[in-house]
Amino acid sequence: MRTIPVKLLIILCSVFLLNGCWDTKDINHRSLPIVMGVAMEDDQYNIHLQIPDPGTDTMQVRIVSETGETVSKAVDKLSADMESRIDLLHVKVIVIEKELAKEGGKDLISGFMRAREVSPKALVVVSDEEIESFFSNLNNTTDPQGTTLFDFFDKDAGWSPQIALTRVWEVYRSIHSFTRDVALPIIKSGDSTVIDHLGSAVIKNGRMVERIDEEETLLINAFHEESTHGKVEVMEEATVLIVGNTMDHKSRYIDQVPYLNSQLHLKVVLLETRGNPTDKEIRTSLETQLTNRFNEMFTKLQESKADVLGLGQYFREIPREELKKWRSEHYPKLKMEFEVHVVIRNEGQLKLGGD
Amino acid sequence: MDKSLHVVLMYLLVHLGLIFFLYPNDIISSSDEGQWLPIAIGLLFHFVLVWIYMKGLSFFPKQNIIHIYSEMGRGFAIFFLLPVFMYLMLVNIIGVRAYSEIITIIFLSNTPSWAIIILFLSISGYLAAKGVEVIFRTGILLALIFIPIIFFVSIASFQNVDWHYLFPLIDDDFHFMTTPSYMKSFSAFIGGFLFLGFTAPHLTYDRKKVLIAAALLIPFFVLAVYIPVLTFGQGTASRFMFPYIMTVDSTYINWLMFDRVTMFFILCLVTFIMLHLSLLLWMAYQIMNHWFPHQPFYSVLPFTIVIFITSIMIIDWKTVERLLWWNSFLQFYVLLTIPLSIYFIGRRRKGRT
Amino acid sequence: MDPFIKELKETFINSDDLFLHEEEILDVPVFLVGFKTLIDFTKTKVILQKYRETAISSKKSIGELLNEIGEVKEKDVKEAVSFLMTGKLLIVSNNRRKYVVIEPVPKMLNRAIEPPTNENVLQGSLSSFNEDIETNIGLIRKQINASNIRAEALSVGSEQKTKLSMLYFGGQADKKLVEKIRSSIEKNQDREINNLQNLAKALGFSGWSVISKVNTTELPSETVAFLRKGRVALFVDRYPFALILPCFLWDMFTLENDRNYPIPLMASIRLVRIFGILISLLIPALYVALVAVNPEVLRIELALSIAQSREAIPYPALVEILLMLIILELIIEASVRLPSTIGPTITMVGGIILGQAVVEAKLVSTLLIIILAATTIANSTLVGIQNSLAVRLFKYVLVILASIYGILGILGGIVLISAYFASIETFGISYLNLNYAKEGTKYG
Repeated sequence: MRTIPVKLLIILCSVFLLNGCWDTKDINHRSLPIVMGVAMEDDQYNIHLQIPDPGTDTMQVRIVSETGETVSKAVDKLSADMESRIDLLHVKVIVIEKELAKEGGKDLISGFMRAREVSPKALVVVSDEEIESFFSNLNNTTDPQGTTLFDFFDKDAGWSPQIALTRVWEVYRSIHSFTRDVALPIIKSGDSTVIDHLGSAVIKNGRMVERIDEEETLLINAFHEESTHGKVEVMEEATVLIVGNTMDHKSRYIDQVPYLNSQLHLKVVLLETRGNPTDKEIRTSLETQLTNRFNEMFTKLQESKADVLGLGQYFREIPREELKKWRSEHYPKLKMEFEVHVVIRNEGQLKLGGD
Repeated sequence: MDKSLHVVLMYLLVHLGLIFFLYPNDIISSSDEGQWLPIAIGLLFHFVLVWIYMKGLSFFPKQNIIHIYSEMGRGFAIFFLLPVFMYLMLVNIIGVRAYSEIITIIFLSNTPSWAIIILFLSISGYLAAKGVEVIFRTGILLALIFIPIIFFVSIASFQNVDWHYLFPLIDDDFHFMTTPSYMKSFSAFIGGFLFLGFTAPHLTYDRKKVLIAAALLIPFFVLAVYIPVLTFGQGTASRFMFPYIMTVDSTYINWLMFDRVTMFFILCLVTFIMLHLSLLLWMAYQIMNHWFPHQPFYSVLPFTIVIFITSIMIIDWKTVERLLWWNSFLQFYVLLTIPLSIYFIGRRRKGRT
Repeated sequence: MDPFIKELKETFINSDDLFLHEEEILDVPVFLVGFKTLIDFTKTKVILQKYRETAISSKKSIGELLNEIGEVKEKDVKEAVSFLMTGKLLIVSNNRRKYVVIEPVPKMLNRAIEPPTNENVLQGSLSSFNEDIETNIGLIRKQINASNIRAEALSVGSEQKTKLSMLYFGGQADKKLVEKIRSSIEKNQDREINNLQNLAKALGFSGWSVISKVNTTELPSETVAFLRKGRVALFVDRYPFALILPCFLWDMFTLENDRNYPIPLMASIRLVRIFGILISLLIPALYVALVAVNPEVLRIELALSIAQSREAIPYPALVEILLMLIILELIIEASVRLPSTIGPTITMVGGIILGQAVVEAKLVSTLLIIILAATTIANSTLVGIQNSLAVRLFKYVLVILASIYGILGILGGIVLISAYFASIETFGISYLNLNYAKEGTKYG
């Protein structure tokens, strides 16, 4: 039994020796970028990273940039030049320059998914301006934590229903899916606010093919049954606040032609009126406004053959071989009927037509 | 003493450890659509074999398969037990190596895999040296601590499910039967029940309860494949090494203080795997002990050293995959012959008396 | 002088508290022998006087009288010495071959029955055991009015005899268990029992087990509850605790006194204790793992604030936490050692110097101080000092594993600790037994 303490001693010693064996770096010796900007410059990736730099009392935000043949190469170069190692594990937002988005970011996204360094939950955003100026403007206005951009898209913080919210894994899925494309938010740095939201980019096969505006993005979000709670709709007669939405779909596939009937049920609350509209007038006006907007957008999408709404999902009964041709053959033929049903849940503190 | 709870929980843990890593990928890459069919066939195998095995064992109360075979004669015992022993060691080597590699792929990318192998082997070696009852009791504690986390994460993984991906439901050709990956997926279906024949006379159990446990596993077998498919679609899911883990990784839980719940999920499963490895080691020791009676310590230690050296020698994931493929033959041989032979020996003996 | 007396005197040659008092009983000269320090001599003499008077009035002979007041023994020095040591009074007459052992009035060398000092009781019976084994057994009998309490007296030790007593509920306790305890004590007759390590050896346990295999309590109410569940209680003379055998993991979380509350409250109190063990085991390890190995698990906001609090700290997380943990252990140990009058100084020094100054001097991070506080507090929720000591030790295993393997190390450590718990057996009964009472009744 005398051996037990000896054994323990050996184990303890080896533990302390082992400890320094592979480089585990403490959190304060790692740089944790939150935003990553990617642009293409003559076959070289140009990487910008926004890194919060915790000082003893204050938090500062740094922007660093580097170019390289691949993203990892650029990050590696940066890591070598910086005093602490860069850890992409906490990247929350990936900003892709518009030019790169148009060219296609397929390899970029696959790379993110493969290395697992960047979380598949990171948001993908398209920047309407040059990445260089975007970041320098971002740095001027951003808060000391450096999480501004992330907060802008956070459902618990600054997100609003007309912003598309798409993560890396969703983009990756869209690249390999037959029936689904994604919309990425387009932003640029703003004058008074940090960020200007300009609508969404329609990404098909990893490539930006079309642009839609904020109002249309709202419809896409509603279509995906994301909550549109809190969006204000302005019409000629009145202004309403959306408080709830649900969708119903009916799909048929007859003679190689897909038909889809979608019904959007909206619950709204009355905010302001102009003149003395009746309950019914307000509803019809809202219904026509939304239906027209949807139809306009849908025509645009159909022309670009990008299925942002994921309509192909409703026709999964089509055989797999056929489904592969969904975007090119079936989708353009799709007959879509979009109906909006509005319920005015309440009229606020005043009676309608009372004033 | 009746220890059904111990055995049932162990049965669940061992299988949970097997289900979530390699199996979803095997099934998804074996068939493009209607994955329920390969799952159902696999499960059918599972149930039939487990039933036959337990039925066969029930002819020999208080005897484990080593006793049963050695009663039939020395040659008989060697003929059946040597493959089992080889299988146990091979599964152990592959398991240790594969899971240490998985861990370095998924996280801990800086840690060398030999260090992880040491951790695996020292823990499971310690457990195996302590004996089967300790392994089973540890299983209960681990189940109490970790199963809630597994449940929580499995429920959270439904977050991004799109039910439309369920279709098409029917895959009319059975070509998946011939794919190598489907063969490999059987390590999840039939790789976990061998221990049922080793526990006697230390632990006895109620056969019905084990079958209930097997039934409880059905949803996990289905979910592990279907949640990735429903989240990503078959086209995308088939591109992942570990589809289920990718799915869990893509769930976003606002209110949790941790960002990557995946890690906890994976590691809980890894602890189950450690338990499984220790069980395999213990079974190997039992077979050794039958031929050369000795203290568990003297056989577990050399086993772990051998396993360590062999698994260090496997340098890349390709080799692991190849070993898995070779092992699936040995596995089929062992896991078909053992239950069937036990059953027939039992029937014959019963007929004689 | 009688050779017997002479021999006695020689045995206790430098023991000045031995008295040899010459007296005459019924005109026969005798010696009263005993220890002044153990016997209240004046009171004893008064009693002797009364006996003498009744003997004179009823005209008894000296032989009859001595037979009546005590036990007559053959002159054997060895035996006489052991009688003297246990505080008996000997009456030795010069020319007879026999002497008489009588039960004198003892000096009051025991505490009164007091409230417990090691265990706090909220809303429950307050009396606790003291050093006298008979008082303790009496307390048990008082606590539960049942005829089937068995109290077996055993004694151990070759030179110094230690009184042991084994209590159990007849019909409730497993007969095999009782037999095993009895036989292992009998087997180790010549071992001396001065402390619990000796006792553990005597019961055949390894001295290297981190988890104590006997559960100690100083409350009769708790002891009775254990007895009722079929466990066995050992009492050692001069040790004011009941030693409960076997001991289970679940004992860490339960007190019989919890049952004085409604069931939901009882359940939540016990849940708090379970959280207590989890927090005190996991949080320090989690700190090391998250700071050093797996920071990606943290949410970014948390990661940044931790990084900020660790800014300019010169050593790795493992060293930082070990340093502070050891200082904390020192504080705990010091506050046990110090008399209660200076105790608060330590608390103040520890609280202010460590909590404030260490952080301001940038030696450790603020978060770590919070974690240490949480750990220590959580650790104290466990029932039984020996259990919380063990948990305090296990914590280090997890911290070290976490520093190597991160979260994998923590979970590996949990497996290891679970395996260790699972491997503990007392007399063939697993430490993880949950419903021992139910199984125990089977042997009735």
